[in-house]
Amino acid sequence: MSNWDILWSSYDVFLSGFYNTLKLFGLSAVLAFLMGSAMVFLLEGSRPRLKVPLRIFIDGMRMLPFLILAYLLYYGLPSAGIRMSAWTAGIIALVIYHGAYFAEILRGCRATFAQGQVEAAIAQGFSQPQMFMRIILPQLILKTRGLLGNQLIILLKDTAFLVIITVRELTAAASSLSSTYFIPMEAFIVVIGFYWLISIGLELFIKMIGRFGAKRGFENA
Amino acid sequence: MDSSAWGLLIQGAWTTLWISGISIAIGVVMGLLIALLRVAKIPVLHQLLGVYISLARATPLVTLVLFIFLTAPTMGINLNRNVAGIIALTLNTTAFNAEIWRSAFNNFSKEQREAALAIGMTPWVYFRRIMLPQITITSLPGLVNEMSFLIKGSPAIAVIGVVDLTRVTNRISAVTYDPLPPILAAAVLYMLIISLLVWLQRLAERKASRLAV
Amino acid sequence: MPETAAVSIRNLSKSFDGTEVLRDVSLEVQPGEVVSILGSSGSGKSTLLRCINWLEQPDRGDIRIAGDRIGVSDSGKPMSRRELAGMRARLGMVFQGFNLWPHLSVLRNVTEAPIHVQGLSKTEADERAMALLEKVGMADKREQYPYTLSGGQKQRVAIARALAMQPKVMLFDEPTSALDPELVGEVLGVIKDLSKEGYTMVLVTHEMEFARAVSDQVVFLDKGIIIEKSHPSEFFENPKTDRVRRFLELEAPAV
Ligand SMILES: Nc1ncnc2c1ncn2[C@@H]1O[C@H](COP(=O)(O)OP(=O)(O)OP(=O)(O)O)[C@@H](O)[C@H]1O
Ligand SMILES: [Mg+2]
Repeated sequence: MSNWDILWSSYDVFLSGFYNTLKLFGLSAVLAFLMGSAMVFLLEGSRPRLKVPLRIFIDGMRMLPFLILAYLLYYGLPSAGIRMSAWTAGIIALVIYHGAYFAEILRGCRATFAQGQVEAAIAQGFSQPQMFMRIILPQLILKTRGLLGNQLIILLKDTAFLVIITVRELTAAASSLSSTYFIPMEAFIVVIGFYWLISIGLELFIKMIGRFGAKRGFENA
Repeated sequence: MDSSAWGLLIQGAWTTLWISGISIAIGVVMGLLIALLRVAKIPVLHQLLGVYISLARATPLVTLVLFIFLTAPTMGINLNRNVAGIIALTLNTTAFNAEIWRSAFNNFSKEQREAALAIGMTPWVYFRRIMLPQITITSLPGLVNEMSFLIKGSPAIAVIGVVDLTRVTNRISAVTYDPLPPILAAAVLYMLIISLLVWLQRLAERKASRLAV
Repeated sequence: MPETAAVSIRNLSKSFDGTEVLRDVSLEVQPGEVVSILGSSGSGKSTLLRCINWLEQPDRGDIRIAGDRIGVSDSGKPMSRRELAGMRARLGMVFQGFNLWPHLSVLRNVTEAPIHVQGLSKTEADERAMALLEKVGMADKREQYPYTLSGGQKQRVAIARALAMQPKVMLFDEPTSALDPELVGEVLGVIKDLSKEGYTMVLVTHEMEFARAVSDQVVFLDKGIIIEKSHPSEFFENPKTDRVRRFLELEAPAV
């Protein structure tokens, strides 16, 4: 039996790792994006109350490695009496960490907006949340799609760190297969192929948004 | 945390710094070489390098570190953990740096070349004395930014047992039974390192924008 | 009993960082009336207009839209955001810089507020929007996006967008100042049609001849004070103050 046959016989291990990674990625990408958008919404208005704390939070996250945050949640917090599973800690870490990065990307773009569009919406009777959701956020997404796409790929890659805090994701699958059968080369080639595929899928998705934007005169940011 | 814990922590920080430092140094130079090869558009090689860059950018560092560390022995190579870590970090950062260098090359004005050749410079002298210095300045902010990313990715080497600034917190808490303080202390040290790089990046940006005028 | 004024401004004052931009301004706009506000740059025209829909908050005085006070609720407290939004929806505003929303098509720019602020169904909103786009001559461009339009076309869409909320009063802040001269006419034409249809309008403009032709009342602001308020023929032919006379000589030598 060749090494590849051995791998094929345990394709279910890959599939479940792949599925877990996709689940980690999808769930935390959505939540992190919502969190980033919510932070930018809280920064709306002329004198946002939360400006200073949000600034500190965002800059703080951008100066930390992702893994140290995961460590903090998974190994550190139990000594403060807060205990959670590796999976939960992993998702929370991904969401908090990348939420801050998404917020920074969107905030940077928001700062370049002309005030007029917002006034036009206020003059028409939009509430703050409506205006943010319907006028500002769609444009932020169209304008920052390149940066958002990069961030999504970084998020995908950061899911692999969670193997270190014992989450059973894709890299964990390769690692366990290679130590069971001593075929690291093949196992990792398959796994890297998976990551590559998801990245290419993400890039296509961003290109799609790009076409949507080009139709509206939004050049790539 | 007592002084021996702080001592361990500083050792971990030092490990992170020297391993990342070596990878950054090699990665910046290799990135330049790859960018040059890609700019030359040599058939086949161009495509191969393109695939390398695309793959390296899509592969998580943890996965790459494991791949290299576990695969080398099966090919009869005995890799020490630190070396495996350096190779992985280098392969990763080189790909990003190559793209930074390449975009600087692509944006470089062609007229300067004609001016230089017209006054009798050889292409090599032109490259070394005129082109490279300017391209280095325009690439520097991007390169420094990538250094921050590499430092933030460097805890990946913990997965093969290198005791870096992240993993050392496990060591310390194995003795003290209280992981929170060492993790927080490590976080502060990372912040110091990254903020230093952010500061350097600002300097580099100021320099680059002066060149742009 | 006299008819309730469409807009009634009483003793309005406003300052920015200590400098008074509007001083004790009072003005009544009757339903169906067109009032033009003239004055040199920096005299406070935009600020006055922006106070009417509370984009700027006045320091003193009160403003009523069809009898209801804006910005301050009956109990005397500042209006909640929701109440304020309801009042603003009664006023249509057209800006110098068009301020169309670039990510939405022409049609969606017009239907956005009717659907999401007034709660109209999409079909109703579309119907209303198409009628208005027809009126401003932009119906055939409904599927296009703002960046493909000329300035004059953008402004016509912006007018349709403001009309779509069926406002009691339309506010125009120099609607043609950002346009190339050859495009000014098409926008003024639309505004003129609206005046004939009986819309109540408050208009800040530098187009003297136009102001003279459409207005029922002309107001002149100087350093935040209304120094003349009269019928256009009176204003342009027989200005009461030297200040206005000089202004007219500079702005409209032909008149
Ligand atoms: N948000 C603001 N903050 C500070 N000062 C302001 C603000 N808005 C307007 N001003 C000042 O108030 C004064 C009146 O401004 P306003 O825009 O109302 O003038 P205007 O008559 O519309 O002039 P223009 O014809 O140039 O549009 C000006 O001196 C202006 O600088
Ligand atoms: Mg003005």
